[in-house]
Amino acid sequence: MPPVSFEHVSKRFGEVGVVEDFDLHVEDGELLVLVGGSGSGKSTILRMVAGLESVTTGSIRIEDRDITPLPPRERDVAMVFQDYALYPHLTVRDNLSLGLRLRKVPRTEIDRRVRWAGGMLGLDALLDRKPKQLSGGQRQRVAMGRAMVREPKVFLFDEPLSNLDAGLRAQMRIEIARLQRRLGTTTLYVTHDQVEAMTLADRLVILDSGRVQQIGAPLEVYRRPANRFVAGFIGTPPMNFVEGRVAAVAGGVEFAGEAVRIPLGPAIAAAEGPATLGVRPEDVALVAAATAGSIPAQVALVELLGAHAHLHLDAGPQRLVVVVPGAAAPAAGTTVHVRLDPARAHVFEPNGRALVRPAV
Amino acid sequence: MRSLARAALYAGLTVAAVTFIYPFLWMASTTLKPPFEVGSLDLIPDRITLDNYRVMWGRAPFGRALANSVLVAGTITAAVLVLGSMTAYAMARLTFPGRRALNAATMAVLLVPGQLTLIPLYTLIVQLGWIDTYAALIVPYLFNTTAILMLRQFFLQIPQSLIDSARLDGMGELRILFTIFWPLARPPLAIVAIFTFMGSWNEVLWPLLVVREQQTMTLPQLLTVFMLGGGAGTLGVSLAASMVLVVPVVVAYMFLQRYFIESMAGAGVKG
Repeated sequence: MPPVSFEHVSKRFGEVGVVEDFDLHVEDGELLVLVGGSGSGKSTILRMVAGLESVTTGSIRIEDRDITPLPPRERDVAMVFQDYALYPHLTVRDNLSLGLRLRKVPRTEIDRRVRWAGGMLGLDALLDRKPKQLSGGQRQRVAMGRAMVREPKVFLFDEPLSNLDAGLRAQMRIEIARLQRRLGTTTLYVTHDQVEAMTLADRLVILDSGRVQQIGAPLEVYRRPANRFVAGFIGTPPMNFVEGRVAAVAGGVEFAGEAVRIPLGPAIAAAEGPATLGVRPEDVALVAAATAGSIPAQVALVELLGAHAHLHLDAGPQRLVVVVPGAAAPAAGTTVHVRLDPARAHVFEPNGRALVRPAV
Repeated sequence: MRSLARAALYAGLTVAAVTFIYPFLWMASTTLKPPFEVGSLDLIPDRITLDNYRVMWGRAPFGRALANSVLVAGTITAAVLVLGSMTAYAMARLTFPGRRALNAATMAVLLVPGQLTLIPLYTLIVQLGWIDTYAALIVPYLFNTTAILMLRQFFLQIPQSLIDSARLDGMGELRILFTIFWPLARPPLAIVAIFTFMGSWNEVLWPLLVVREQQTMTLPQLLTVFMLGGGAGTLGVSLAASMVLVVPVVVAYMFLQRYFIESMAGAGVKG
């Protein structure tokens, strides 16, 4: 039995559909990340698992139990919130143990679990402090400890790192990943941050407007996005899109836009018509002026990041972003020649569906 | 220059403080003066006597009235806090059919002056047969709109995640209210408590309407009847009776003072 499965789950608030026909089986011990922009329904899905929102239609099962009608306390899940949600008037120790005391767990067992979680998260010295005496990172650890001591079947993380500054966020991200692997507890993790999603996930679920766009391992999603939304959402800097047409030419098909023309091989001879080409910034190379298929472009802006630089180019009306090694970055204002790698090009139909996915 | 300005400021504040405290201290000291000294404005009596209290205590059942007042004001304050916060919690944090209508109705009640409901309420009490009972003094005050709205306003500011977290920890709504919200809401609860207690403690008009027997009278009512009826005789005795009325409120205020200040300073809920 998979630990969590969603069967055709929908959620409506009045007339507004927030989640539409969500169907998913989460694997045992998996860290599944739900990622999407605001209004994508990702938090609503998590809150439905927790029992904090009702399910309009469909059902959610945890192992072989249909939990859809159960109140939160009977679901055997623990949740970590973005703003930590620690009880401000209780000490760290009481924050950790309150849920267990309410469940009538024996005193000695509570002490054991609090010591265990405290030790694992480095909270030993803080157990008698109140939340307001802790830093943001420490509060986040207490919030995780509170979930851990419950020893639930499923962890739910709702944007747990969004209130931390960038440095601490990266550090806590690693801590969460290590902790989850060590405990082996099935985890649903919600974030709007695609870097967080890529680095943490065993599998990603990309959501937009309440609908699943793609489910897959991070690299698979990155390399073979199912549609234009996913292609644009995952990856920094985002994928370059070029509007144009796919047309048959001698020897196969080619994509032709205003400034860009690249061969696509024989694979999709059937599909002709308007299309969008997608090429990731790292799949655009600076080449010598005479290279076949190269495009001249003006460097509008250079973002130097050290090891890499992001070049923002204007190829006629077409804007392109290119990632190059930091040392090789040309100056703004100069003209360069670029070549889009046909083997790594994506083509999307006007409705957004991917037409060509490059071989992985 | 600065220290001069400071000295002037302190002098001004001292004058103001004395102006406020002097009448109260004079009243307190006068209750301890013999009749021929009552006219003096001195704060320290030449000879201390408890005669005024003795006379007062003998003329009317003030002990009983004090007990009645404690019972009435105490019950009302407890009820306003408990029932008021339950109502406020529901209005602020739960979704149920008619919630908006309930909010609007509660607001609307604020617009109705108390004097307007006096007669209908009195008729109701008569029909219930509650004249000369504690119920008549207590029941109409069990819910207080101002308290509900004030607590609701505070409860709206508590983050939803705290409630979510408590629900996942296995708490029911009542437990969330009394073990999570109450400790966070101490300042507004203290304000509601002191205003409710004072309001109830000082109420004269309503008891005068529904209670005629001395045994059921509250302290301010008995005092009013006693003084208006000329029962006091001397100023010293009247003031002694007033002291008995005032002291409990002053004591209550002293206990709750720090929450007052906390609340004025805008105590945050942030973790």
